[in-house]
Amino acid sequence: MKDYLYDGSFEGALTGIYQMFNDRVKAGEARLVSAAFYQRDCFSIVTEVETDPSKAEKVTKWLLEEFGEIGFRRAAYAYLSDDEQYGTYLFCFLKKMNRLGEKGLDFFADQDINKIYKIYNKVCRESHLLLGLIRFVELQSGILYATFEPTANILTLMTGHFKERLSNQIWVIHDTKRKMAAFYDGKEVYIRPLDGLEDLKLSSSEKAYQDMWKTYFKRIAIEHRNNPRQQMHMMPKKYWKFLVEKPQEKFK
Amino acid sequence: MEVLDKLAILADSAKYDVSCSSSGSSRPGEKNALGSASLPGICHSFSDDGRCISLLKILYTNKCIYDCGYCINRSSNDKLKRVEFTPDELVDLMIQFYRRNYIEGLFLSSGVVRNPNYTMEQLIEVVKRLRTVERFNGYIHLKGIPGADAKLIEEAGKYVDRISINIELPTTRSLRLLAPEKSRIDMINPMMQIKEGIEEYRSDKGRFKNAPKFVPAGQTTQLIVGATPEADYNILRIAESFYKKMDLKRVYYSSYIPVGNVPSCQPYGEVSLMREHRIYQADWLLRFYGFRAGEILTEEDPFLEMMIDPKCQWALRNMQYFPIEINRADLMTLLRIPGIGNVTARRIVASRKFGPLDFDALKRMGVVLKRAKYFITCKGKMMTAADQNPFLIRQLLADVSPQISLFEIYPNQFGVSS
Repeated sequence: MKDYLYDGSFEGALTGIYQMFNDRVKAGEARLVSAAFYQRDCFSIVTEVETDPSKAEKVTKWLLEEFGEIGFRRAAYAYLSDDEQYGTYLFCFLKKMNRLGEKGLDFFADQDINKIYKIYNKVCRESHLLLGLIRFVELQSGILYATFEPTANILTLMTGHFKERLSNQIWVIHDTKRKMAAFYDGKEVYIRPLDGLEDLKLSSSEKAYQDMWKTYFKRIAIEHRNNPRQQMHMMPKKYWKFLVEKPQEKFK
Repeated sequence: MEVLDKLAILADSAKYDVSCSSSGSSRPGEKNALGSASLPGICHSFSDDGRCISLLKILYTNKCIYDCGYCINRSSNDKLKRVEFTPDELVDLMIQFYRRNYIEGLFLSSGVVRNPNYTMEQLIEVVKRLRTVERFNGYIHLKGIPGADAKLIEEAGKYVDRISINIELPTTRSLRLLAPEKSRIDMINPMMQIKEGIEEYRSDKGRFKNAPKFVPAGQTTQLIVGATPEADYNILRIAESFYKKMDLKRVYYSSYIPVGNVPSCQPYGEVSLMREHRIYQADWLLRFYGFRAGEILTEEDPFLEMMIDPKCQWALRNMQYFPIEINRADLMTLLRIPGIGNVTARRIVASRKFGPLDFDALKRMGVVLKRAKYFITCKGKMMTAADQNPFLIRQLLADVSPQISLFEIYPNQFGVSS
């Protein structure tokens, strides 16, 4: 195996792709791996990829020109999955796509094209689900503040939606696992590192609205049709701790 | 009385309405206004019964002059505490829930107080205030009150994304029996009016840039299954004609739950979530799979089977069309195969341009081979030396532990566009 190691960034992965195409390596005999996950063995030839923004830029342009916006989005969203094997999948995907051109995006029967599609789709699904599940609390200052810990790194995918929807509000969405946050000041969105916040002062009416929501949540269920399995299937448990309402809690 | 108590009572009274869909309308965000609407709809939570919560589904009041046997809010139900929101309370609740991302919008319905016109005016007051004073730009679904003036329906249509008027029961006879104060014509007329309004809006939209919106997400209706003796076949025929003649977006079916002891209104025949589920599956076949009601059921054989899904039922009755060759069949034929849905069928058509497909590829693309394998060939071969005897296949396909998937009942909520 020829193993190419990149620094874990999207630019790094694209630089790796640039180098692998330049070296004319074949799919199936090379891997592109993030250095953080890599385990060395004595049979592989290792090449360390130095991230180069200009090479990454060239690959981006190539993706957009040859495979259109949809093709680029599949590659870029799949990156957000944080899948350990993303680099290698991307390489195999692009090898195939290079031969087939943009229409290859429809070749769902192909393993390599399907693989990237599946990862892309998982990211899309999670980000769509979380558009609904994110909960804001109102702080004393009037700022709306939400925390979450998505499986994929989808913070950036959330911002466009909330910029439209809450355009006249000021809000922060905080990924507490990755310690990153999106800030919206009423005009623009900024993505910045942010550690956990403690001792947040809630607005005086916050608790009242939370109680009303909890009450509503319990009352809107039809007891005859109780179906906790379905509930958990649609809304996996890993997201519950960030909800205001508490599913399956006995109604008081 | 506190808003919290009103909310609890009026949510309780509203929960038997099925629809919570927020799909079909696209409202881009506006500067200095709150809200937007997303075309595929967004679910915000899932209640303990597994149903999606997308909208604040609430009654304006549960006071009602009618005495419909199937309804929890009927005037003769003296166990119920009767309350009424003020427009201010409801508007504040809406905005505060919306800002916190609890909900996608409002689904407002009401018992009938004083008379239909008065009730409709109260509802319009709420949505008008949301749109014009609060400049709320999110999703609003309003229930039309049967018997209200055409003018009021028209006014409501300007502010809301969706209107629904429930036909409640499948036939005029059943309606007369259980809801003697309501009349079928009071439901059908406004539905026709809304349909014409939507058509006008659609044609104006093409010609004028700023054509005022009218019910952009279309209209829906709901009917109760199992409170009266109609067969599944009759229900599907009614749904089919609503889709064709009224251009409805959805017909919702709700399995009857006897709320209180009304002697004339006891459950009839098979009353189960499974029956409701099978009817929804058949409804999907009507809307997305090119089936006609008369193909799914007939007057002689008017009930859906509980053990296998309607598409399998159809396939087993029509084995002469099978097996179908995956690499040659056109889209509409592929859609007839059990285990192949809309997304998968389209993928098959797109993918096979690159070369013939085999069973591994089909599996990767999402074909449910467990069902499909009895009905297809790839490159002329069946997957197993499967027996073509419909009786045996029926045994193999039967649901041993039937489960209802909300994904199939509410695909709009999960990004499968309609």
